[in-house]
This record gives sequence, C-alpha cells and structure tokens, in this order.
Amino acid sequence: MDFELNEDQQAILEAVDRLLEQHAGPTRAIELFANNTYDSELQQALEESGFSNILNDMAMEEGKLAGLEAALVVEAVARAAGVCAIGSQIMLAPLLTGKELTDQALEGPVAICLRSQIEKPVPLRYGANAKTLLVLADSNSDDDLEVITLGDGDMESVKSNFGYPMGRLVNTSVSGTKLGADVASKVRNWWRLSLAIETVGTMEAALNHTVEYVKQRRQFGRAIGSFQAIQHRLSLCAIQVEGSRWLAREAAYHNAQDEAVANAAAFAIAAADKVFGESHQMSGAVGFTREFDLHVWSMRLHTLRQELGGLGGHRKAVVAARWG
Amino acid sequence: MEFDWSPEDSQHRTEIKAFLDEVLPENWEEMSSHGPGSDVQAHYSREFCGKMAEQGWLTQHWPTEYGGKQATPWRHAVVGEEMWAIGEPRGSQYMNVNWIGPSIMEYGTEEQKAHHLPLISSGNVLWCQGFSEPEAGSDLASLRTRAEKIDDHYIINGSKIWTSYCQHANYCFLLVRTDPASKRHKGISVLLVPMDTPGIEVREIPSVVGDRYFHEVFFTDVKVPCSVLLGEENNGWNVVNTALQFERIGAARYARATVTLDKLAEVATQRGLMDDPIIVDRLGEARALCEAARVLVYKVIDLRAKGSPPTADTQVARVLSTECDNAIGRLALDIYGPESLEYASFADSNYRLAMTAGVAVGATEVQLNLIASRFLELPKE
Repeated sequence: MDFELNEDQQAILEAVDRLLEQHAGPTRAIELFANNTYDSELQQALEESGFSNILNDMAMEEGKLAGLEAALVVEAVARAAGVCAIGSQIMLAPLLTGKELTDQALEGPVAICLRSQIEKPVPLRYGANAKTLLVLADSNSDDDLEVITLGDGDMESVKSNFGYPMGRLVNTSVSGTKLGADVASKVRNWWRLSLAIETVGTMEAALNHTVEYVKQRRQFGRAIGSFQAIQHRLSLCAIQVEGSRWLAREAAYHNAQDEAVANAAAFAIAAADKVFGESHQMSGAVGFTREFDLHVWSMRLHTLRQELGGLGGHRKAVVAARWG
Repeated sequence: MEFDWSPEDSQHRTEIKAFLDEVLPENWEEMSSHGPGSDVQAHYSREFCGKMAEQGWLTQHWPTEYGGKQATPWRHAVVGEEMWAIGEPRGSQYMNVNWIGPSIMEYGTEEQKAHHLPLISSGNVLWCQGFSEPEAGSDLASLRTRAEKIDDHYIINGSKIWTSYCQHANYCFLLVRTDPASKRHKGISVLLVPMDTPGIEVREIPSVVGDRYFHEVFFTDVKVPCSVLLGEENNGWNVVNTALQFERIGAARYARATVTLDKLAEVATQRGLMDDPIIVDRLGEARALCEAARVLVYKVIDLRAKGSPPTADTQVARVLSTECDNAIGRLALDIYGPESLEYASFADSNYRLAMTAGVAVGATEVQLNLIASRFLELPKE
C-alpha cells in the first residue's frame, strides 16, 4: 500500500495540470457558461494528449493502475472546472469499445441518464452537446444499457444555474443498441465512481477557494479565518474532502467494484452538500455573485448530487452490495 | 500510489484470525461486552497476551534488539484491526506495545529497558496512563501534580482523573510537574511509577460509560526513587508527544465498527427492517463512514511506514473515526430499540464504547484546531 504518487502518476498529473492551465480554469468556465457552451477545445486537447484513452481495454487487463490514473485525470479536470464531459469520456466510453454497437464509433461528448429520464426528460449534463447518450436501467436488478447515437434536434439546450451546460431530450423515440446486464453493471459502477471523483475535485476547489477567502477577508479587526467558529467548520469540510478523495482513489485502483464505488459515492455526495453549505456561508454575500469564482464549483456540486439516484441511491447501493 | 496488501501481510491476517479462533474462550463475546477495563477482561488479557508473545506476535513491530521482528507498521496494523474487530482481547496491553514500550526504548535508561521491556513483551504487565487532571483535560499542559526532588527521590503529590485501567495496573506512565516555577509545557517530566507504592489511592468514578471505567488516582507523599524518571527531567512534554504522535489512531476503532455494523445489518434483515428506507439510508451512511475512516487511518500508517514526521492527517483520521463510532453507536440503539436499554446488551456495550470517542485522547475540538492550523493553515491571531 502506498499513498504517494509514483513517477508515472506524477508525470501524468503534471502533464494534465499544464494542459488545464492553458485550457481550463474558472475564468474560462464563466465565459463558456454565459452561453451554455461546451469546451470542444479542451476535449480536443485532452484527446490529442492521449488522456481520453488512458483507460482502454488493454490497460485494464494489464493491471489496476489504469483506473487510478484515469481517476487522477478526472479529479484534476474537475478541480480546474473544465467544461468537458471528462468523466464519461475517460471512464465510461472505454467500457464500450469493441462492443457490437449499431454505429461502430462511440462519439463524444457522451451524456448519460437513467431510463425514466428518457421517458420524462430532465436536464442532463452536457446534454445539448452530446453525440452519444447512454441510457441505463433505473434499477440494477434488471440491468441493461442502451447506447444511442444522437442526431441534430434530438436534444435541446436548457438554461440552468447549476454549473454545467445542460440539455434535455426532445426526441423521446430515439433508440440505439441494447447491451446486456454485464456491460450495464460495469457502466453503472464506473458512472458512480466518476461522480465520486468529479465531486472530490470540485469540492476541493470550492473548499480551497473558501479557505483563501477567509484568510483575506477581515471583519471585527481580524481575518475571519482566525475565528474558531469558522476554523472548526472548515476543518470538518477538509475531513469530508479527504475521506472522499481516498475512498474514490482506492475504488478506482480496484477497478470500480460494486461496494467500493457505492461507498465512495455515498460519502462524497453527502460531503458535497456540507461543503456547498459551508463554503457559501463563509463567503458571505459576495459568494453568490458571478464575479466571485466560488459558484463555478459550488453550483456544480448540486448537479453531481442529482445523478444516478442521488445520495439515497448511492446508500441503497452500499447496502445492496454489502448485505444483499 | 497503490492500495493492495502485501501477500505476506494478507497471510499474517489469516494466521491471526486462525489464532483467535483457536485461543479465545467460548464465552469471549460475553466477556468482551464488559469492556477492556473490566476485571474479567483485564485478567484474561494476561493469558491472551502471553499466548500472543509465545507466537512472537505481541511485539513483533519492535526492533530486534528488544526481542521484536522489526515488523512494518502495516503488519502491526493488521494485528490491531483483527484485535479490535473481535473486541480487543489484549485489553489495556495494546497501549503497552503501541507506545509505552517504544517510549521506554527511546528515552529509557538501560536499567529501565532491562526491567520493563521484557515484562511488556511477555504480556504479563498492565499499565495505566496518568495524564488528565481535574484542571488539565484538553489543556494538558496546565497539569499541577507535583514531583519534588529530595536527594535521590521524588515526592509526588496531586491527583489524576479519568484514568482507565488503573485498578489493575502494575505501573503508571505518570506526567508530573518537576519544576514548580515553570509554566505550560516546560517543567513537566514522565515518571514510571509502580502502582503498589504507598500513598497511591485509586477511587472509581461511577459513570454511564460502564463499571470500572473512570477513576481518580490520588498521590499523597508518594516516594519513588529518581531512577523512575523517563528521559530528561523537565523534558516530559517532548517524551509524551513523541510517544503519542500516532496514537490518536492507535486503536482501530473502524475495525470494531465494521463488525458491529455487519451484525446490525443482520439483525435488521431478521427483523424486517430492511424495508424501512430510513434504516437502509443510515446503514449505507454508516458503512461509507467506516470505510472512509479506514482509508484515512491507512494514510497515516503509510506516513509512519515511510518514517515521515506526523502531520494533521492523524487528526483528520481521528475525527472521522469518532464520527463513524458515534453513527454506528446511535444506529445500534435504534435497530435494537428498547432491548438496548439493558446493561451489557449488544447495543448498550457498543454505545458505551462509542460515546467516549470524541473526548478520549484529545477532544474533537482540539483535533479540529490542529487541522485548522496545520492542514488548512488558517491564521491564529
């Protein structure tokens, strides 16, 4: 067991951080968000640098590290508020490579939802820009997966306050290739894991932003970060972020097993609510403004909290995996 | 970064489990429900630790020169997990092997090492820690118990409180003020005091945590030779900090919590409670908490294995372990319902163990202070 990055992992993280410095960050996220726009440049840059392909079949067969390396990349992109469907691109799409799809190529961006969300369409992350839609059964007791190639006009753009460009299905008669329970359960687990990992990166950035703010902001003649009432609550947030981070990384290392991903998501998604509340409370009124970067990460946390059945769904998955 | 146990450590876990199956008495579950400070468990710990010692496992993490095998902190963690999971049959002796022995190795005289270390590694000696005082709880540096040096003796006067295990202890790892003019951290020393020294009186403090759990220890003109001083006089604060730097996670509470939670899920299933969405939600929440506590403790063990200086990761792990204990303690009460109201019932025993977690070994608020200053680097002012 070793909690330090090895040389390869360090190199991957440094390379992706360099790329993100150029193509991501809160300023760019705010600019893109104003028009509900997807960051095709970032996606292209990640693809050209080989990050999108980090978790391919071969790597997964060779060992456990590919899942962890993919997780490190997803975490970094989330921390940098990249406007790009990195979780599905890196962690879900590779699971379908080589499957007999109606359309052989699985084109990104990839959006994902539950079956009931096709029947009663809801806003989906990156939905308006998605070229592929993965539809998973609502319950894993009767698991299946449908891979749908989206055409023009199948989705509509949706205005949202929750940090990601959103789209909703308008053509509810779309259909695609149906895949069985085996691949569906893998996709379900990696989706759960990608939610946990994205939540970790997003929470960490929101917390760091808040910590810096309370160090600078002075009231009553002192930095508000020097008050114990603030310090204890931020310490509790830090504990939540650290617990989430290491559970998710460990689950990624073990290639997204049922219970490990459920624990990681259950912990991270509960933590997200706490970090959202405390980071906004401590940032005061300015924290609600568009000119203050906090919202870039904080509002996203609520989106992540809604997917795959939300907190209750993840906790049910924990119970099912552990105790049947 | 990787998260696998080594094959050797996994094998050792199998050996330990088999050993526990073989040696623990049939009524162990009932015995363990009384808690590690109980008469029955203190008595049994001598027998059990003797058997551990025969296997060469009790102090295997100690250096070879002191009879250990230089086992890694990971190997020691395997032992800790398996012991706590089953109710800690080592009783209070986990303290001996975790930090009292190692402190004596680091700071003790040759005479102290020759006397104490064989006793500890044979599993037949009990210790208590004399730290807290009525006016020195979380603020330990304000302790007042006085040891006055007269010729070649110390005369100890004062009292300690909340002391566990002392009614059975042979020795006390005692913190005293040796320089009366000193304040705070300076002027404190550690004395290794035999508990049968005249002038020591132990009184139980009845509590809701359980019988024989808390005590007051009074020292009235207790005369001990200066040879009981551990380390340099007035340097006791450093001795204790070194000793306890990793000890806030020394007890693998998450391992015990995991076993408890599995039992609660079994009971919930038998009683048809798995149809209750609130119970399912709380079981899922508690399980994720257990796992988060475990992985954060592992992070601290990794630092220790690499010889890194302690960081606030210890406090991070400790606070989450406390949350985990409390969540499962409350859940046990709710799943068992009114049955849990009987003393020494399953839920009652677990709850009593859990309820002290946020106060023992430094209150949660003190841990949060340290996380704020060392981990988040928030200003003091």
